[in-house]
Amino acid sequence: MSREEILGRMAAGARFAALAGDGDVTEGVRMHVVLARPDGIDVVDLQLPPGVDRYPALTPRIPAAFWYERKLHDLFGVVAQGHPRLDPLVLPHPDGNEPLPSPGAAFHPTHVEPDERALRSHVMGTGLFSLPHGPVRSGVFEAVEYVVETPGEDIPHVNVRPHFKHRGLEVRFEGMTPGRGVLLAERVEGIASVAHALAFCHAVEELAGAQVPLAAQLLRSLHAELERIANHLDVAMKLAEAAGLAVALARFGWHKERVLRLVSALCGNRFGRGVVVPGGVRALPLLGRDELKARVDTLRRDISGDAAALMQTASFLDRLRGTGPLDEDFTLQHGLLGPVGRAGGHEDDARWHRPYDAYPKLSRRPVTHRSDGDAMARLRVRWDEVTESFDLLAQIVELFGDHPDEVLSTRVEPVTGRAVGWAEAPQGEVLYLLEAGTDGRLRRCAPRSASFHNLAVFSSAFRGDILTDFPFVEASFGLSIAGVVM
Amino acid sequence: MTGALIGGLSLFGLALLGDLVLGVRHGWARPLPYLLGAAAAVALTVTGAAGLAGQPIRLNLDAFLGFGAADLAVDRLSALFLVISFGVAVPVSLACAAWAARPDRVRARGLGCAYALTCASVAIVITADHVFVFLFAWETLTLAFYLITAHRRGYTATPAIVTIALGKVSGAALLVGLLLLAAQSGSFSLPSFATLPHTGVRDTAYALLVLGFAVKVGLLPVHVWMPRGYRAAPGPLRAVMAGVAVNVGFYGLWRTLALLHQPPAWLAVVVLLLGGATALLGIAHATVQTDLAEVVAYSSVENAGLITVGYAVAMIGAATSIAPLVAIGLLAATLQTIAHALAKSLLFTATAGIEDATGTTELDHLRGIGHRLRCSGTGLAIGALTLAGLPLTAGFVSEWFLLEALMQQFRLGALGYTLPLAVTGALVALTAGFAAVAFVRIVGLTVLGPRGPHDAELTRDTGPLGKFGIGLLGAGCLAVAAVAPLQVRIIAAGLDSVVPGGVTSSALKAPWVVQPVFADFSSLSPSWLAVVLPALLAGAGLLCLLFARGRMFAVRRVPAWRSATGGVAGENQYTPFAFTNPTRKVLANVLLTRAELRTVERRSGGRDDDPRADAGGAHLGYTSDVVEAVERFLYRPMRRPLRIAVRTAKRLQNGRLDAYVGYLLIAFVAVLALVLVLT
Amino acid sequence: MPWIFRGLRNGVLTTGYPRRPDTDDVRSIARPAERATWEPGLDELCPTGAIREEHGRVRLDQGRCIGCGACVTARPGTFSWQEGNDVAQLSRAALVVPELAETDADLRQLRRALSRRTKALRRSVHIRHVDAGSDGAEEWEILALTNPVYDVHRLGIFFTASPRHADLLLVTGAGSHGMAAPLARTLEAMPRPVVVIAAGTDAVSGGLVSPSYATADGIGDLLPVDVWVPGSPPSPFRLLSAILLATGRLTAAGRER
Repeated sequence: MSREEILGRMAAGARFAALAGDGDVTEGVRMHVVLARPDGIDVVDLQLPPGVDRYPALTPRIPAAFWYERKLHDLFGVVAQGHPRLDPLVLPHPDGNEPLPSPGAAFHPTHVEPDERALRSHVMGTGLFSLPHGPVRSGVFEAVEYVVETPGEDIPHVNVRPHFKHRGLEVRFEGMTPGRGVLLAERVEGIASVAHALAFCHAVEELAGAQVPLAAQLLRSLHAELERIANHLDVAMKLAEAAGLAVALARFGWHKERVLRLVSALCGNRFGRGVVVPGGVRALPLLGRDELKARVDTLRRDISGDAAALMQTASFLDRLRGTGPLDEDFTLQHGLLGPVGRAGGHEDDARWHRPYDAYPKLSRRPVTHRSDGDAMARLRVRWDEVTESFDLLAQIVELFGDHPDEVLSTRVEPVTGRAVGWAEAPQGEVLYLLEAGTDGRLRRCAPRSASFHNLAVFSSAFRGDILTDFPFVEASFGLSIAGVVM
Repeated sequence: MTGALIGGLSLFGLALLGDLVLGVRHGWARPLPYLLGAAAAVALTVTGAAGLAGQPIRLNLDAFLGFGAADLAVDRLSALFLVISFGVAVPVSLACAAWAARPDRVRARGLGCAYALTCASVAIVITADHVFVFLFAWETLTLAFYLITAHRRGYTATPAIVTIALGKVSGAALLVGLLLLAAQSGSFSLPSFATLPHTGVRDTAYALLVLGFAVKVGLLPVHVWMPRGYRAAPGPLRAVMAGVAVNVGFYGLWRTLALLHQPPAWLAVVVLLLGGATALLGIAHATVQTDLAEVVAYSSVENAGLITVGYAVAMIGAATSIAPLVAIGLLAATLQTIAHALAKSLLFTATAGIEDATGTTELDHLRGIGHRLRCSGTGLAIGALTLAGLPLTAGFVSEWFLLEALMQQFRLGALGYTLPLAVTGALVALTAGFAAVAFVRIVGLTVLGPRGPHDAELTRDTGPLGKFGIGLLGAGCLAVAAVAPLQVRIIAAGLDSVVPGGVTSSALKAPWVVQPVFADFSSLSPSWLAVVLPALLAGAGLLCLLFARGRMFAVRRVPAWRSATGGVAGENQYTPFAFTNPTRKVLANVLLTRAELRTVERRSGGRDDDPRADAGGAHLGYTSDVVEAVERFLYRPMRRPLRIAVRTAKRLQNGRLDAYVGYLLIAFVAVLALVLVLT
Repeated sequence: MPWIFRGLRNGVLTTGYPRRPDTDDVRSIARPAERATWEPGLDELCPTGAIREEHGRVRLDQGRCIGCGACVTARPGTFSWQEGNDVAQLSRAALVVPELAETDADLRQLRRALSRRTKALRRSVHIRHVDAGSDGAEEWEILALTNPVYDVHRLGIFFTASPRHADLLLVTGAGSHGMAAPLARTLEAMPRPVVVIAAGTDAVSGGLVSPSYATADGIGDLLPVDVWVPGSPPSPFRLLSAILLATGRLTAAGRER
């Protein structure tokens, strides 16, 4: 297949969802382009001949490939010719012949250090300067450096440097059994453990042709929705903190803690880790149905009350309105995911458009279409989703009552071949491109979190904003750096 | 004491002659005019001091000039301004001498002349009691300013032209105003105007005089010459213009009030509002300018505004016949004049030292200059703190008085006065706030800041004489604050002719405590502050030393915390430009800020193939500029008609003798016709 | 204004810990039974190789345990979930359970030494957190310490923006190579005495992430660690217990003194 094929499919309505490399330059890097149709996912391969380390860049035609090609360059050493800015992203290194991680290749180096000399600064013009913000930032944040290029006050451009916490997970997956791999998938993006485990398991189950029992499907969705509520509450906390609303911060912190405690009461782990296994779920919930229902109802009441109060606090809304805008054309062009995308008019939601697990059995209210694309719209989308999640939880609890004794997992035979699994994390669609060898172990596993896809446009979201808007824009994206660099 | 006056003026004459005769060829001759000038300034300061003490000083000029009784007389008001102007002229002249002694600083003769001419005309303007002597000195001053601003070769001529053009406007306004008064009183003697009746003509003259002097002090909208003129002047000569010569403008205003006393109400209110607007506009520009000389120049505009506000309060007091209000207004304005004269001289002297050592006045290239040029840096810091009005400096006392003066608005019943006073109070408070921003930038970034990547190369700091000058001025800024009550007493004596000394003296609540003339309003003891603040600081230091038990100096030094970043290439900290960008945005309506951001696209792609070194570096371009609102909306539209008028006038001047004879004839006939009609 | 009444609505939510015992029964670290004997194949159960044999007994390195529960599910008789909040230890070796009597004396000595060092910061501790390659969940648990349920401000514990004001360095993540230099810069910027806490299994041993080309095997390779907290991620109670241990405010019985 060729790039024309990709462009043709995109012209026909497919969305560029991911680009992953495989192998190394010596044997010829394979590039897997993942395209999402409204009702499914395709993978298109581009094969570079052995020894060739350059190819015509996709980014000029497909803006969303901007970061993917930079990542490809960092991990495999292939150069996208004609790329607007092929700066280091996940693993800075000067061009040379030192060994690169090259996930999917036969051999990997044991030690690769990022080389900061390969980083660039982009400032020019009177009075412009770079303000390094990170990697050790004020507050408890994940390690990332935002180099704010500013003449003071305005933010003309933000240079994101996320490479600090690159953990080499794509290589780490190789050789694992699916049963072990799901544990690592849970740790790719710790705050969306369930969604990552789901996407991983969906790919494995697709390969094995396994059918997940109904009870397991319901339990999976139960945990996925609780995770979504916790994440959206976290965003509300960070926005309230940025606006200096101490009581709101404390209230949402308390709600979030109660959600995590509920998850821990259900499965023993506050992040729902260990719940999802290939073929189903590990165990029945530790909590009775009635108590679960009671706790969910209390949470729903408390959260909706505080959310309504927050959305009536003028001093808070003033800071959000028009902040961090991404217009609809831009959103659709980049195929932005999750609440960031939905706030800008990109309706795509894997749960409903490419449904999995219990979602085909659940119903949802009609959704409000939003396209303002600012921090306010993103928060509104999140509150809509919290409401929807509580609706779904109520339905799940109802349905689960009818199937308490069913089997919780089917056996997943040793699998081989390639598949893509997906799930809708709180941040947006998670993709796992999985390839298993004949021994049933993973040969290549390329996770793609929504954080990576969305963070790429972070620096485009500051039109007209000033330095004090930065925390609002950052919080409104609601991303996890762990999922960006892996 | 008349001898001192004669001696001073003769020394200036000698300085002028010396420069003309000796030129700049000999190294020893270059600083000579300024050293002579310093001596002259000492003589004139002594003259002023004697005048304040009440000694009659009168120099009769009848012998030289043929137009009746013309004297150079030093009354108390003249004496006060002699002390203010020539008190600062001494250190400034020394700094000029130090600067001129350096090789290649003065390249052509004429600058020393201009300097001597400036100082001499200042002395004559202040002491003149005859209209023509006054006007003659005023015009000489305008000429001298032109010579100073036009001195630098290779520099654009516009500043000099604008300076002389507005100087001419000023001269014209004074000429017409004084002639109108002379026509009314029938005498060219200034004191004779004091008894004129209140007529429309007198009020018009009043306004014309205020306009004429406003040009010199830099009041809106005739301030446009000031920033560019000051900036164009070479080295410490800026201090001569801005610290010494500018005081004649204030003297003129004070003299006008002393002679004509009760102004028309509208004039007082207009001057008040213009003063407030000038202050805000001046400080707004001072905050955002990127050139040190221009920052200091715009702060002159700001101070002109502040001083004029005090003067306007006095005018309102005169218009409503409330003597204490006149006293507090003039007291505040005079205190501010003194603080400004000292601080401005200090700032420009220090700026000259820095420019001399680095070859630039661009703020972005002058970070942390205080660490490297100790003397000039300290001078800059003290001057900046004074103009920001911080405690322990002269500026604090004067700004306190100014704000207190504005707060007296409740004593006036008429809304026509109270409302403008309240508005001006708000403007002055806002100005004080932005002054802090402007001078925090100077002290925090330019004097003490960390070094940047584009720092200027250094030669060495100013010489011993210059250091002595800076030291004198810096000490003056601090000392006059400590002895503020003494200062009040002297000013009270100096203002005797405007408002009885007894009224002004009631600003002293106790020997070391001052109050805003009106009793039981508020009080302040700057002298006590000068004792107690350093004592507290020393006490705190002592306590630290005591409790740290010697560990205070055993410190581990680590690099400044920058969020653990590995660093970014190029400019990576707040630049003086960036520091004021918030101000540029906040005051966008005053400054008419234009900001433009453009992306400089890379032409070729993939970085391995890009032939340019560090092609990724060329990415963003940003420009931001501010516009002088007055210049833009008042003067620029006038430029075209003016040019057409000039072109037309030029046609008259065609160089043919017969044409000129024809003009003479027409003028003669016209005058005859006029006389016939009038009689 | 409405927020004030909203804030008063639910009364006091804060836990009594450490004055009164409180825990949330999180199942995130396994523990072998006290006298469990070794059987071949037990080490195969663990994805991170935490289970090993010593003198015929089963020993489990909690510093490697990611709480997946594979061992507890497969051998409920031999392994169980660790209870209580006090899982943090002052030495890496002490994380291997069941505890051995001979390490107790060493631990007491360590505790005394640390206690002497941290005497000055007992009642007011300022923490600087650094992420050295975590999965993001640890940050949530650390942030949770400031919510009304744990509210560590009541114990004089604060998070600071600058390491210049910090007494305690709380590090999460396996120690990615990219963070090695920033981590060293942060430690350098802190005033002495300084206490370093490795928070989470990743920080202690690298957990499931190591071995990797991009990370160290725990932050012990990068800087001297005083307190080791296992858990993937460690729960807020266990983090709080570790902070109290680090500042000498926890007696051997687990109560605050």
